[in-house]
Amino acid sequence: MNGQYAALLIAIPLISAFFVPLIKKAGRKAILSYVIAVTVAQIAVAAWVFKRVYTTGKPIIVMAGGWKPPVGINLYIGYFAALFVLIVAIASFLMAVFNLRAMKTEPLDKYAMLFLLLMLGATGMIATGDIFNLFVFMEITSITAYALVAYNKTGEAAEASMKYMILGGIGSSFFLIGIALIYGATGTLNMAQLAQFAGLVNSTVVQAALALLIFGLAVEAELFPLNAWAPDAYQASPHPITAMFAAFVVKAGLYAMVRVLFLFQASSGWSGIMKLLVIMATLTVVFGEFSALRQRDVKRMVAYSSISQIGLAAFGFALVGKAGASTGVASLAVSAAVFHMVNHAIVKLLLFLAVGYVAIALGGTKLEHFKGLGRRMPVTAFSITIAAFAVVGIPMFNVFWSKVKLLIAGVEAGYTWSVFLILGASVVEAVYYFRLVHTMWFSGEDVNEKISESVPIMAMMLALVAVIIYIGLYPNTVWHVVQKAGSDLLNVGSYVKHVPLINVGVRP
Amino acid sequence: MVSVLKRAIAIAFILIIGYWIASALSHVPFGADKMLVGNYYLQHVENQTGAINAVTAIVVNYRGFDTLGEVTVLFIASTGVAALLWERKRKRTARTEGTIVLTTGTRLLFPFILLFGSYIFIHGHLTPGGGFPGGATIATGFLLMYLAFTTYRIPHRGFEVSEGLAGMGYVIVGLIGLAVGGYFLFDWIWQTWKIGTVGNLVSGGFIPVIYTLIAIKVGTELSGIVDNMLREGSS
Amino acid sequence: MISAYYFGSIALIMIGLYTVLVKKNLLKILVGLSIMETGVNLLLISIGYISGRSAPILSEGVGPNQAVDPIPQALVLTAIVIGVATTAMALSVAILLYKKYGTLNIEEIRRLRG
Repeated sequence: MNGQYAALLIAIPLISAFFVPLIKKAGRKAILSYVIAVTVAQIAVAAWVFKRVYTTGKPIIVMAGGWKPPVGINLYIGYFAALFVLIVAIASFLMAVFNLRAMKTEPLDKYAMLFLLLMLGATGMIATGDIFNLFVFMEITSITAYALVAYNKTGEAAEASMKYMILGGIGSSFFLIGIALIYGATGTLNMAQLAQFAGLVNSTVVQAALALLIFGLAVEAELFPLNAWAPDAYQASPHPITAMFAAFVVKAGLYAMVRVLFLFQASSGWSGIMKLLVIMATLTVVFGEFSALRQRDVKRMVAYSSISQIGLAAFGFALVGKAGASTGVASLAVSAAVFHMVNHAIVKLLLFLAVGYVAIALGGTKLEHFKGLGRRMPVTAFSITIAAFAVVGIPMFNVFWSKVKLLIAGVEAGYTWSVFLILGASVVEAVYYFRLVHTMWFSGEDVNEKISESVPIMAMMLALVAVIIYIGLYPNTVWHVVQKAGSDLLNVGSYVKHVPLINVGVRP
Repeated sequence: MVSVLKRAIAIAFILIIGYWIASALSHVPFGADKMLVGNYYLQHVENQTGAINAVTAIVVNYRGFDTLGEVTVLFIASTGVAALLWERKRKRTARTEGTIVLTTGTRLLFPFILLFGSYIFIHGHLTPGGGFPGGATIATGFLLMYLAFTTYRIPHRGFEVSEGLAGMGYVIVGLIGLAVGGYFLFDWIWQTWKIGTVGNLVSGGFIPVIYTLIAIKVGTELSGIVDNMLREGSS
Repeated sequence: MISAYYFGSIALIMIGLYTVLVKKNLLKILVGLSIMETGVNLLLISIGYISGRSAPILSEGVGPNQAVDPIPQALVLTAIVIGVATTAMALSVAILLYKKYGTLNIEEIRRLRG
């Protein structure tokens, strides 16, 4: 099949979402099953794209309207995008199955549309090769997220959504100012062409524009100090949506930020911006972990932990600034960061799935609800335990490998102080996760009645546990994949080479 | 006291950002010809798209992906508003009936507003305008009906279905392009079939078709948002 | 040297941001966000302006070399629609908040929630 058919990644969720009003009367089960079917189709396309990109070794360039870049908008589906589009599709599928159990709040037809469009937005953000198109997909993602955060219609949910909306609104305005500056200085919006021009543009303009773009994207990527909305939003959203936020929405934001930053690596003053990012990332890790320690609500605690893990991945990307893009350290750091993103997606999907399931079965996510969970819901408790071990970074589980590689890269790049801070934060993380594990297995002797666990959810949890252990034991299979994905991000030269830019004349 | 401090910090922050933007803008000369891709569009727009309005040609044809996203954003807003304000039973609670001037004026104007809206979106490739302003104009017609008559309601169900169908239509036009020309959102009407003469109403390839779909979508969506916000639950 | 024409948009952005940061009423904050968006749109448009040229509609008298840059205008069209969508969402969340707390003052809301 022609590579242009990768446009189906965008077309399928879109047309399926528009179709939902027509089957509105079909009932809850039918609508939610329809969503599952759509996500299966999305997985099929994403798997085809993944296979094609990794066997041919060449990215797929989708040219909308048949216009060659920079005249038209192109999608760039390289190693990184192919991997993450697949992750988005799989995570959406798992959560679509979880919907059947988790979602009772009406109006479900609207929920189904928003669910599909959230998947679409993240896919588009990861795949696009045009900076304004990135803005459009970012807005699709975030406006869907505003609606979904408030979907439960409680006071907390509305407040969380409003907080997110105000921060997101400022962020997107700043992002647009950044785009305006870049457009004014270069006359183009195509990412590959921007990378070509990066060294030639006035450095004041680039610095201001990049700072504004970072500010805009940091809201989506949940970096300190613009992540104030995240814990509230995670806690208030419907459970499947929380898992989707942690699994791919935040990753799409982080990816977009890193992609935009790396495009401009030829410009002067770039390393200063990256230094800023190192500081933001380190603070994200530290604040996330210390806030998590204080939480009595498990869902909120996991949310904080998720934020700090994203900070860790951002730290990996930011190391490139000091090391220089062409060095071995840089490629180690970026690959490790991508590896961490993959691992984090798997682990957090499992954690939020399990915690959400506990909330549905027992009516809440306070630490008290988890007392004696090991006897009441053994499979769920087992999954949470494995996930907790993995997050903390115990050897034999997947996160260990990415964390170690990130820290090695940090030391090699000369950021010893950040590495120490992050290590300290990891100890804090271990404390609160072991507190949770201890609560589940060794307390609450009085609660003993067993709750029968739903088979599909158990199957999903155990599958994710198997993946965690598999990657933990054989990290090399995934490591090869993420190394390719990392080089796709880091090596802007090959990015530019693969986009078939046509000559549109010179600027006057 | 706290608020004075807060204000001072806010003002300092804003001044820094303002200075920043201004210093960057001082390297982007105002009024100078800075076009690169823009110039390419201006030189080739008539030949490649059949439209004389370069802006709509860019919006629908060259950068069609953005517009697809834009339509989606509006769809999300209307869906989100409906989801958040959803209650099992909701009624309009307006009590003041419109004055005779308003009601008579509305009755007279309503068809003409719809007609004018249609004019705007059908001529999108020739004159300023297009599907978004056209759809918004149509929605103002319905808004006027809401203001004038306390019991008026749009046919909600029909609007929702046509909204979905119009959106699907847009994607299908794009997919036909994929099947016919090999590219998603490929303008098969102009580039494969070559229908119309530049400058006439029948020209511009799929721009009028897509703009009609967009106008239906925007009109129904904005009216739907108005409808959702004007109905209140019993609680 | 920065041209004086840019100051209109910068001023709008700053006014909007000030409103968002300082005001306590939710509706005023949302108005501030809209003002900021307007400022950004104005900025985009003014970046595309070329002195002495006309709107990019190539009918009689306007050739390809007498038109201003069409791209920023197309971008602004998209940005306006996105702004409308955000505003609509924000207003419905504000309605929801008012239903739950009976006020639109953000400090009151925070206090009521405890």
